[in-house]
Amino acid sequence: MKEQSQNKETPTYSGVLAVKVDDLTVAYNYKPVLWDIDLEIPEGVLMAIVGPNGAGKSTLIKSILGILKPIAGSVSIYGKPYDKQRKLVAYVPQKGSVDWDFPTTALDVVMMGTYGSLGWIKRPKQKEKKAALEALEKVGMLAFKSRQISQLSGGQQQRIFLARALVQNASIYFMDEPFQGVDATTEIAIINILKELRKAGKTVIVVHHDLQTVPEYFDWVTFLNVKKIATGPVKDIFNDDNLTKTYGINYKVSIQE
Amino acid sequence: MNSAQIEIQLIASLVAIACAIPGTFLVLRKMAMISDAISHSILPGIVIGFFITQDLNSPLLILLAAFTGIITVVLVEYIQKTGLVKEDTAIGLVFPALFSIGVILIAKNANDVHLDVDAVLLGELAFAPFDRLFIGGTDVGPKSLWIIGSILITTIGLLLAFFKELKLSTFDKGLAASLGFSPAIIHYGLMSVASVTTVGAFDAVGAILVVALMIAPAATAYLLTTDLKKMLGLAIGFGVLSAISGYWFAHWLDASIAGSITTMLGFIFLIVFLFAPSKGIIAVMYREKQQRTEVSLLTFLLHLKNHTEERERHVNHLQEHINWQKVRAKTVLDLALKNNMIVFNKNIVSLTEKGDTFTSKAIDYIITNEDAQIEDMKEDFFLFRG
Repeated sequence: MKEQSQNKETPTYSGVLAVKVDDLTVAYNYKPVLWDIDLEIPEGVLMAIVGPNGAGKSTLIKSILGILKPIAGSVSIYGKPYDKQRKLVAYVPQKGSVDWDFPTTALDVVMMGTYGSLGWIKRPKQKEKKAALEALEKVGMLAFKSRQISQLSGGQQQRIFLARALVQNASIYFMDEPFQGVDATTEIAIINILKELRKAGKTVIVVHHDLQTVPEYFDWVTFLNVKKIATGPVKDIFNDDNLTKTYGINYKVSIQE
Repeated sequence: MNSAQIEIQLIASLVAIACAIPGTFLVLRKMAMISDAISHSILPGIVIGFFITQDLNSPLLILLAAFTGIITVVLVEYIQKTGLVKEDTAIGLVFPALFSIGVILIAKNANDVHLDVDAVLLGELAFAPFDRLFIGGTDVGPKSLWIIGSILITTIGLLLAFFKELKLSTFDKGLAASLGFSPAIIHYGLMSVASVTTVGAFDAVGAILVVALMIAPAATAYLLTTDLKKMLGLAIGFGVLSAISGYWFAHWLDASIAGSITTMLGFIFLIVFLFAPSKGIIAVMYREKQQRTEVSLLTFLLHLKNHTEERERHVNHLQEHINWQKVRAKTVLDLALKNNMIVFNKNIVSLTEKGDTFTSKAIDYIITNEDAQIEDMKEDFFLFRG
């Protein structure tokens, strides 16, 4: 099983910065959840954001995507503000953030990924439908295209969300806990797709909870706990020292491979 | 039918359609109560508008009242955002305050204002045909018909133009925001449509029925379909059906039209609530019972599969061992027999080949959760559906 999911090839980085965050501070009711974050994410990494609950992991993603307004700081995507680069970015929110009883089908949810490139008013046509079907096929969900979304299991719903991001054909993918509540098979299927994206030169940023799998799945990692603790290649900085700094307790994981 | 009757039914139907469209999205956004708030808090807007224009059907009055509706939404959100009270409490605080301002304004000026609280709450559909619109001296029909007609056309136009945006932001606000479709713009757009519709409909059907027409048809349609477009269509259909049947119900009873339409809305919801094919109460209860039986069947088959020794598979033993009541044990045995899954041989129960394959497949599914294995079993067993 290790051989299957382990990806030993060393990724090559172009040296271009995909995402740059400067002095970002975000607060809810004047209580800072993110404090003066500086972060540079190189193009082509498969990066985990780790940190304890309430560390501001989702908040960081949402602020980069302009869903939350920071009280200070700025974000650039390939050197320009997010507003100008929307089409380069795809986002997979937490599965629990939507109402799965909504009257719609799997295919329709995936089609929503094409709305960004369509813009206001224009309707999706055959071209968009074809792209959505291809994305469904990629995540192994083509057989479920007409299924009402509440009739899907948690893992299948997550795959639908992933397909919706794939259909955006973006350069940078942000994913908020894509492995939450999915079974082992789906987890492997998802990570394989993420690795394929990296192979295609895309940048993938994932809020991740399971520290054990970080070295196995990712090549880049950011430790976050309100402030940025560390960021860089997994092999250099994923160690007990940074884990202890981030999680506050004396943290030990065995990361020898 | 005389022309007044036709006109009343036409007005009621147009109001129903105009309400069902924003209503569907309000229900899906879990904002049903906000329509209640809007319908009450537009009262001061109407009264002040009436003081200024002296005409209940003036477009200025409609805009002014709709503006009060938007203020309600903004106030509710503002109070809620402080985090000191929850949304339902905020709604409960805002709309009675605004409504009471309206009530006081009416009472203070009762002598000069042709407007009373009863008419505001219940509307006067029966009188709608008397207030007519004249263009260059020609009678072109009741004013209410023109007002609600124009609101409806605008609503349909907006729906067609922004259906995709409405659907996206209702389902997934976060994605809508990240794709550049500002959820705030769509939210306030929908609230404006709901407010204008409420004001336009309110003269005809009153503040209470407006809420019923927005919420009940959408809630009924929600139980019948898993497709947003069909849900819109059904909501419109139920609205019109209630409007027309309600009119004739009122005609027959010689009672309030608004009250009768609301009664029909409630009645149709009740019927669907009970008998809807998959989400109705009866269907749900039937399915739960069926699932219980099927779980029992599977437990039983698994027991047979796990025990090769005859002692464990003797009829008498089974009853005490699995510890089921006789009735239930019999139901399960009958079901297994009917499906050719077991055979009896001198009071010893054995799995047939079919039963054996079925059990293996079912167990396999339960362990691996792989859907492909059970696709062909779904037809026969509720257990594996959804």
